Amino acid sequence: MFTWLNGEGAAYKEHVPGQTNYITDVKARKKDPGARSTNRPFPLNPAFVSEPVLSEELRNEIYERVVVKKKSVRLVSHDMGVDMRRVAAVCRLVALERRTREEGKPLALPYARSIHEMVPTTPLYDDPRAQREMPHESINDLPAHRLTDAQIFYPVSESRHFTRVDAGRVFSAAPARNHDIVAQELADPSKAMTRITRNPSQIETVGKGDNEQAVLQPADVRIPHPALIDLERDRIARPNEMNAVIKGHMARLEEEEAAEGERKRRAEERRESRIQHVTPEESRFEFRFKDVVVSRETTGVDGRGAKAPGRRYGVPSDDRKKGQVKIPTRVEV
Amino acid sequence: MVVRIRLARFGNKHKPFYNIVVAQARSARNSKPLEVIGTLNPIPQRPTNLSDEEARSARPYKEISLDKSRAKYWLGVGAQPSDTVWRLMNLAGLIKPKPEPSKMQ
Repeated sequence: MFTWLNGEGAAYKEHVPGQTNYITDVKARKKDPGARSTNRPFPLNPAFVSEPVLSEELRNEIYERVVVKKKSVRLVSHDMGVDMRRVAAVCRLVALERRTREEGKPLALPYARSIHEMVPTTPLYDDPRAQREMPHESINDLPAHRLTDAQIFYPVSESRHFTRVDAGRVFSAAPARNHDIVAQELADPSKAMTRITRNPSQIETVGKGDNEQAVLQPADVRIPHPALIDLERDRIARPNEMNAVIKGHMARLEEEEAAEGERKRRAEERRESRIQHVTPEESRFEFRFKDVVVSRETTGVDGRGAKAPGRRYGVPSDDRKKGQVKIPTRVEV
Repeated sequence: MVVRIRLARFGNKHKPFYNIVVAQARSARNSKPLEVIGTLNPIPQRPTNLSDEEARSARPYKEISLDKSRAKYWLGVGAQPSDTVWRLMNLAGLIKPKPEPSKMQ
């Protein structure tokens, strides 16, 4: 053991801060002293890549932008090159860390510091453009939708334009669109897509009753950052005017941000208008009265409709029975 | 027989939840009512997504849903609210507070 510790193993005893000290690197350096470090820690499993983690500065900046500056998660994700879900997770975890500090509980800071010295990290660049061009991870990923699992052979006449929107409609068995609507979409695709992303409540539905579901939309509007498609379109159309393209992209993002804020505000207003807040002097509590509707439409003919207020009568709750799956079994995208 | 507006207890042990129901006064608490006009969750909820100052002054809230037009209709045809429902309807501004029983005798 000591021969190994004093010989080959001595290389692993101390690490150089900011550099990985993986076994593959050390072996490569033995052969060629100038070898660059790789992100593959296991020599026999080259498929395993050690992905970079967020640096302290980057994660604090993400928290600052989302929580203090009130930027949207989508915009911060775009600017920082970090997935939206990770942005949300960072906000939750930094908030947790701050609460722990406030409570005076101990933090494992030396541990965190030494880990950050030994694994690859994504730094916070001073230049916002560098941040966008060297992203932490792919930010525009889209999980495969369940409806697209089916292989459908759908004959289309050659004279007809068949777009991604039409493909989505075929997957959800919605009727084909009229030619003039397709022509409108083809004339200005980015406008057509914006109309969908800004009015998600107007997406057409198919099916009746419990089987009612929204028509599958094209990937262009389901991805986290649809604005990047417009950027790419613009870049192809005007390859020599990069500055103008980027400026246009930023303007579009701002517009999108404003529209999203407005949409959220209106939704909140609509929700709030149906709730009456009562704060009696003599009570510790606030009472929130929500307006509901009891009518033939909500209760249904047999009085068991799911839209009516209140717990149901004569419908046993099966949640304690065997075989009830309570954790979500699928992800809605 | 009197028609009452009262609460019917649902929910599990230690997790009360009430339907606000219109029912015949002599029927059992959880028997099928004439109509369900709302719900009451008596467990105070913590308001979320607040800034630090707001969170200090925020009160916990109780969630009530109520069809006010149906409640007004049933009050108009002489349904008698129970004490708890009377208090809630008073908070919602549907009826005056229940008069104190007179201490004359």
